[in-house]
Amino acid sequence: MVYLPLANIWHHKLRSLLCALGVGISICMLVALTGLARGSLFENADRWESVGADLIVFPRGWADKIANRGVGLSEKYAKLLREKHGDLVERAAGVFCWPMKVAGQDHVVAGVAPEQWDMISGGKAIKEGRLFDPENRFAKWLDDRLLSPATDDRAVEITEADLRDPEHDGLELVIDTRLAAAAGLGVGDTLHAANHDWTIVGLAPTGVMTRIFMPLRTAQFLFGDGDVTKCTMILVKLRDGVDAGPAARTLRDALKLDVIPPKAYRVTLQEHFSIMLNYVDMVNIIALIIAFLFVMNTLYTMVLERKREIAILRSCGASGWFILRQVLGESMILAAAGVVIGVAMSFGASALIGRLKPLLTPELSFHWMLIAAGAAVLGAILSALYPAWRATRINMAEVLVYE
Amino acid sequence: MNTILQATDIHKSFGRGEARNHVLRGLNLQVRRGEFLAVMGPSGCGKSTLLHILGLMDQPDRGEVMLDGETFSRAAARPQRLRFLREKIGFVFQRFNLIGVLSGRDNVRMSLHVRGRRDDEHVEALLDQMGVSAVAHRKPGELSIGEQQRIAVARALAHRPGIVLADEPTGNLDTDNGLALLDLLRRINRRDAQTIVMITHSAEASDRADRVLRMRDGIIKAE
Repeated sequence: MVYLPLANIWHHKLRSLLCALGVGISICMLVALTGLARGSLFENADRWESVGADLIVFPRGWADKIANRGVGLSEKYAKLLREKHGDLVERAAGVFCWPMKVAGQDHVVAGVAPEQWDMISGGKAIKEGRLFDPENRFAKWLDDRLLSPATDDRAVEITEADLRDPEHDGLELVIDTRLAAAAGLGVGDTLHAANHDWTIVGLAPTGVMTRIFMPLRTAQFLFGDGDVTKCTMILVKLRDGVDAGPAARTLRDALKLDVIPPKAYRVTLQEHFSIMLNYVDMVNIIALIIAFLFVMNTLYTMVLERKREIAILRSCGASGWFILRQVLGESMILAAAGVVIGVAMSFGASALIGRLKPLLTPELSFHWMLIAAGAAVLGAILSALYPAWRATRINMAEVLVYE
Repeated sequence: MNTILQATDIHKSFGRGEARNHVLRGLNLQVRRGEFLAVMGPSGCGKSTLLHILGLMDQPDRGEVMLDGETFSRAAARPQRLRFLREKIGFVFQRFNLIGVLSGRDNVRMSLHVRGRRDDEHVEALLDQMGVSAVAHRKPGELSIGEQQRIAVARALAHRPGIVLADEPTGNLDTDNGLALLDLLRRINRRDAQTIVMITHSAEASDRADRVLRMRDGIIKAE
């Protein structure tokens, strides 16, 4: 079969390639940017959802914030939850969150009690090394210094050397394997952050709640103004068979605190970053429009250049629909090639981002690829219509004889 | 012999106001089925304009064309004209007008494709008949001008039209190629009773025709 659009594309190889490339770059922007924005955002949400807790308790008004950190509520609530609401609550553990800059990027550090690790990590074991302060020696040492009745109303001096004392080393960290790879850190390495030298004692698998963990007491002492009784949030594991929704309402009413399931964090993230996501979408739409103006310009030039060819077809009796199909066919082939190039480029861009910024998570989604393909097809149709219409208006006698 | 084509009181002008050029001035013409008709005349006398109107590529300002029993006036609908272009008319142009991105063979096949048909055997037979089957895989730019015009004739004949309209088909050819093409057209006319209307300047061309019409000032002056 003679397929004129294909013959034309093949004949004008460089122009066709540039045109498909123009569409491809827009497709790549659409797929890679949305993948990057949503991937990085939802990777964070995925990690929070991996926690083996059913509910998170925040101070009132904190639940709809995305960067909760520092002193928020008394750790005594954990005890209260276990004791007063034992019919609902199986476990409750305070977590102290604080930001820490590692490998050029801010991360949330979670201060957790080592005995709560299995709940915090959702049952994931340490991959390499060990958990920090496994016997809770630092917590006991610090509690003796700060919380025993004998120390009431007396100033207690704790030096860096005390914190690093091998008998109860509080400056130990567990980081996840992704951060370890990105920062080039391993078990036994020392990391200087937040004005302290930390020893990496273990690597947690990627996908746990945060990328950096430290002993709860260390976080409370260093970042909670010395108040080791406060935490940022409390993670709650409900008893088997207890429905999280009604339990959250019961606990919310009883404690007068915000109680949310970890999944709500994803919604909060989405709401907070909706402007950014809208911005990304707008950039993508503009990129697509520019790409299709480019295609339209190319097709229009093509129609002008091929007036003779179109007039020849007309002199053979080609209908307007036949001409339109030729122009549309060429546009669709260029768009399809653009989609293939764009998707391939987005995989390349994703790999490049992963190499240059290993902590970003570009998540290429088939859903967005379909949207990009749909946009390309729609754009190809729209951008071909005017040139095609112009093509059907050609005066064949004028073109074939006089031009 | 019955009439396949008849033009009655054809008027056509170009331009506006003082620049208006009245090219055809009430021209009348009749072509019999199976006839090889040559139309001659000086440059600018309206020969090509007449051919475009006869071939439904252009519309007269006034008058009508009757083609194979159907009448076309200025008011004729475009789909009706296109249908006749598809089914009844084959064009041979002075400048060949082949599609540059297609091979010679595909140019002929495209002519059928536009008409919703496919007949590769017939296309090969035509190319063979025109003596260009060995070079038909080449694109027009790689063919000699004689070969290009033969491909153009094959294209005009591919859909077995009722009438072939040739606009100075030898105008761009050298003498040998021109004479060979005229002989070819004559052979097709004789063998298949193919009606041919040819616009020409050339006396050799008119010698091959059954009848010669001479045009001057937008009308037929002599037969």
